[in-house]
Amino acid sequence: MKQFLITFFAGLMIPVSLLSSAIKAWEKESPSGYEDLLEIEAQIATTFDRTKQAVVSIETNDGAGSGVIVSADGLVLTAAHVIGKRGKKLTVILHDGKKFSALSLGGSVFSDAGMLRMDTNETFGFASLAEVKESKLADWCYALGHPNGFNESRGQVLRVGRIIGKQDETMQTDCRLLGGDSGGPLFNLKGQVIGIHSRISQLPDENFHIPTETFLSNWDFFMNEEFLSDKKLADGGFLGVASSWTEDGLTILAIVPQSPAEKYGLQKGDLLISIDGIALDSREKLAIYVATKLPGDSVVIEFQRDERTMSVKVPLISRNQKE
Amino acid sequence: MKIFGYSFFALACSFLFSVEEVDQNILLDPSLRLNGLQVQKAFSGMSELAIKSTVKLMRNDKVLAHGTLVDPRGFVVSKASDCIGARSLVTNEGLSFPVKVRKRHEGCDLVLLEILNDRSDWPFVEFSEKNVSMVSKWAISASPDLSEIRIGIFGAPSRKIGREGGVMGVVLHEKSEELNGVLVAEVIPHSAADRAGLKTGDRILKVDRRSVKSPKQINQAMQEKDPGDLILLEISRDQKNSDIRVTLGHRSVTFDLFNRNILMSGPISKRRDNFPTILQHDIPLEYNHMGGPVFNLEGECVGINIARVDRVTNYAIPSYLIGPILSEWVEN
Repeated sequence: MKQFLITFFAGLMIPVSLLSSAIKAWEKESPSGYEDLLEIEAQIATTFDRTKQAVVSIETNDGAGSGVIVSADGLVLTAAHVIGKRGKKLTVILHDGKKFSALSLGGSVFSDAGMLRMDTNETFGFASLAEVKESKLADWCYALGHPNGFNESRGQVLRVGRIIGKQDETMQTDCRLLGGDSGGPLFNLKGQVIGIHSRISQLPDENFHIPTETFLSNWDFFMNEEFLSDKKLADGGFLGVASSWTEDGLTILAIVPQSPAEKYGLQKGDLLISIDGIALDSREKLAIYVATKLPGDSVVIEFQRDERTMSVKVPLISRNQKE
Repeated sequence: MKIFGYSFFALACSFLFSVEEVDQNILLDPSLRLNGLQVQKAFSGMSELAIKSTVKLMRNDKVLAHGTLVDPRGFVVSKASDCIGARSLVTNEGLSFPVKVRKRHEGCDLVLLEILNDRSDWPFVEFSEKNVSMVSKWAISASPDLSEIRIGIFGAPSRKIGREGGVMGVVLHEKSEELNGVLVAEVIPHSAADRAGLKTGDRILKVDRRSVKSPKQINQAMQEKDPGDLILLEISRDQKNSDIRVTLGHRSVTFDLFNRNILMSGPISKRRDNFPTILQHDIPLEYNHMGGPVFNLEGECVGINIARVDRVTNYAIPSYLIGPILSEWVEN
């Protein structure tokens, strides 16, 4: 018995020691000293050499923002408030100053995610996107962008920080941002895009980004040049649930009184599974689907309550009708 | 020009109808953030030097700037234009000593002060002579009260920052007509020209008694001037000629009056242009913390902070420029 225990512990200890030597400095809860800081610095420098080539400045007729190229044929992720609407003519300036004309694709004011495509047959260096749930609280990251617009002698600006918050279509970091950074990319230390800069906070070190997951969840909607505008959000269908992504899935946190959701029996705590057969993998997917329907349209909502799956057909109303 | 970054999603928020109830966003413990205590601990190898070699330059009870101790006999370098009227300094231990200005370097906006004290064992920084790219390297300076350090990153290439020049705040008509002088197409509200009484439709005939025929000539004349300089215009209005004196303004203030990046920045350095070379970093400092040293991870002093440019940007004069200036000063 004694022999068995010793073997058991020895067997347990080997993988643990292997694991600890494999932990990178930037994966620790906090860097422990000079060596770790040096490793983080070197990792940023190595990936930055590659990532910076995908960062662009975006000029519209009334302002300047930033963006990041994510495909060889010139697809660019940015913020919805930089492009404003679909089908808008824009100018994209590459890191080396080369200019290309571009056309905005889709976006959403709900998350502030936006897309555009450069109007050319050239091939571009591009950045890869992190997978769903790849980025999490406390991860080291860096922000790139062209604050105050493209500046030839300065180029893009690099800021380092950590993820200080992430929930649904919002991520916060303490990377220090400025106007004009909007739409620029946030990278993890592997050099993958984990977010897009959305809006700056009054505090310089609590700025907001759109997580990459938001783009992945609504990719087809944006690529199909559909844009969820403020007007659409106001005039479209209204369901009346407040939801958020939890460990269990898309969970209803509250029901609007006198809303269709209340009338048709949805409850706080229900897990939303699909709408009209479309799997719900983000809160925004639900928001976009409902807002692109019209008041009077019905949707079939599949949900889970007490481990039982149910579905209900709900006619949507208009937002004003509720008030 | 509109710079994106400020939209607030009122409607998106109203969709959630009760944000307080819904918001379950868990924020990272402040001690683990970039400038949190845990992360600061990792820099402990060099934080003592950063704190001890930085001083606060004072006029009465007001902190004018930080300063950098550069010599064991008690010499301090700081930002010249912020140190006007500095009478004393305060160390990280809270001790106060009188100071006297000894030298100035206009080009880099640096000043040399002497501590009026017999001590000859002052802690001091040694300037790195290397001229290497600092982009993506850690940047470390002392905190405002010299009790701890502040961390940032060098985020853009070192470069020359050109002179801003003085501006009147007018838009000039490009097309030259048969008439003499240059037509004022627009006067920017609250600009130097507006305050001096210049009006749209005026024709500028002479600048400082020299005739002008094109906007280019006027712009050239302005480029030789600094903000605050006085110029004399001879103008024609309603077929009558008259003289107008204009005290020139800052370009950034005149044209970016509504630039929200500047509005959100809080106070920034008065002089933040016309430097031969700067390093750019984002250490959280305020306009009255310029003049202190900035270090790399190895604890080498790589520059002296010289300008707070906006809410997230500082410039520093690189050490390899300061070394030679200091040698020249000390020899004299």
